Amino acid sequence: MVGELKSPEELLKERFERVEKAIGLGEPDRVPLIIFTCGDVLRKYATGYELYFNYDRAREASVKFVTEYPVDVFLAALAAEGFIFALAFSNYPDIAPSIRFWTGPMHDALGDKYTKWPGRELPEDSVLQFIGGQFMDVKEYNKLSDDPVAFVNEVIFPRACVNLEKAGSSKANAALIRLGFEASRYLRFLGESAADLAKVGIPSLPLTFAYAPLDFIGDFLRYPTGALIDVRRYPDEVKRACEALVEPIIKVALSLKPAGAKYAFIPLHLNEYLSPKLYNEFYWPTLRKIIVELYEQGIRSLVFFEGWHDPHLETILELPRGWGIAYFEKTDVRKAKKILGGHTCIMGGVPPSLLLEATPDKIEEYVKSLLGEMKPDGGFILSPGVADIPRAVPHENLKALIEAVEKYGRY
Amino acid sequence: MSLEDLIDAFVNLDEEKVLRIVEILLREGKDPTEILEACRRATALIGERFERGEYFLSELVFASEIFNGVMRIVLPELKREVKPTGKIVLGTVQGDIHDIGKNIFKAFAEAAGFRIIDLGVDVPPERFVEAVRTHSPDILGMSGLLTISYESMKKTVEALREAGLRDKVKIIIGGGRVDEYVKRYTGADEWADNAMLGVKKCREMLGLGG
Repeated sequence: MVGELKSPEELLKERFERVEKAIGLGEPDRVPLIIFTCGDVLRKYATGYELYFNYDRAREASVKFVTEYPVDVFLAALAAEGFIFALAFSNYPDIAPSIRFWTGPMHDALGDKYTKWPGRELPEDSVLQFIGGQFMDVKEYNKLSDDPVAFVNEVIFPRACVNLEKAGSSKANAALIRLGFEASRYLRFLGESAADLAKVGIPSLPLTFAYAPLDFIGDFLRYPTGALIDVRRYPDEVKRACEALVEPIIKVALSLKPAGAKYAFIPLHLNEYLSPKLYNEFYWPTLRKIIVELYEQGIRSLVFFEGWHDPHLETILELPRGWGIAYFEKTDVRKAKKILGGHTCIMGGVPPSLLLEATPDKIEEYVKSLLGEMKPDGGFILSPGVADIPRAVPHENLKALIEAVEKYGRY
Repeated sequence: MSLEDLIDAFVNLDEEKVLRIVEILLREGKDPTEILEACRRATALIGERFERGEYFLSELVFASEIFNGVMRIVLPELKREVKPTGKIVLGTVQGDIHDIGKNIFKAFAEAAGFRIIDLGVDVPPERFVEAVRTHSPDILGMSGLLTISYESMKKTVEALREAGLRDKVKIIIGGGRVDEYVKRYTGADEWADNAMLGVKKCREMLGLGG
């Protein structure tokens, strides 16, 4: 391996430049490989419970993974979706980013009903799960639209978090103080974890976070199916609420700009549920507004297009060229390239199930054929397309993936 | 108001009209089983629209909401047991507690005439085994969203094998992230990554055609 002769500092720089070049639609020295996990694959090294509740064990597990499987960027999101808290504190840029994700101990502090955790509601060896729920009545859309931040703080939190049931009570105040303690521990963990990875030559992306407004409604307020039904029964109310959410969402994303954030991670959920007609009416206009505004402020977006995004691919062309990274799950990246090539950096391409069940030879063959089409003209990042890798993936298969990128990904 | 009007309103997802027609038909003394049969035909047509790319998941979610609304009105009126198309034991596998996909599948499978025994979420292999033993279903349906569900699906298939029940039941896995590879890994007979495809494959497994 060429890499082994280089110092971690050199590797760090090389890998970061490789990724940045691809994002900037250029041809780097080789196609970058990014691996995302929400914990599944790290259960090779620690139980689910340890990954989310014990920062030291989580740091060790990440280092073990990248030492065994050196990739260009490794992103371990060992915390749950907590964007509603960031939004609730969007007027306080010093606080909002630190509670953007919830860790296990934050879940303990809040008693939130959105998430379930290994060693708490789930078996110790599971992974954390975001379930969401219906915490808002349809009649309350107008209150949400009038003042999303106040509505979330004053109406939703008491319903969605057991320990915040009575605002101003000793219990609720204690929960918030505990949340604050934990947030500062979590920020320290994030810094230390990035330093651990840097020591072995793996860069971290300077991320901030945003959200699609309709997903915010689906995930945190009305449950995904509830939001989809509301779109039909109460179209005007839903539309108005989505518009009202744009400003606080942008505020959250920008809160990390002074700290050097360059990319806003936006995980989409309801995109694949919607017909082009509904997508273009209820989902895309406000999401587009957020992506464009952030781009104008110097922040590119890393959008995870969950599921099958094929019917909406053309809409991505409405964004400015070089707006960011389109990370696809089930959409064929070859098809995406035909439409978006030269305009959008494309990420994805490897089904995690292939890594689970195919032989190393098959994986090599798959990557060779894929890169044959995706490599020319740059602007492509290879990644397993589901934001996780199953723990049961055989060691030799992951190795085969990394070696195949090295072998067939060079420009 | 006729059954044809009901089918037409259902296929076009006109919720209010569907519920109104069902109430009128019942009041006029229409046999509830005929109403259910009309719903079955309507959901099959919705499935065709979905396959053609005219309908998307949000239309399926809404259609299952409409169907559940119809069932709330029709079920109490049902005087005799309708002979089911087949019996399915259904559940989200151990470690996974997501059930949006499972519930949409359930509604469409019921609309297609299947009797569903729903074990809920986070169902351990031994509970699936016990349910297969007790209910002798034609099909076992295992659902899962997360990548961790693959392991649990595989374990459940193995547990059925150990219990000597594997050959007694067809197994389908379902979820947005299952495919041919996952099917092979888990040892299931079929897979489906959306509810309509799931119902279609269940019918095929019982030799009923799409």
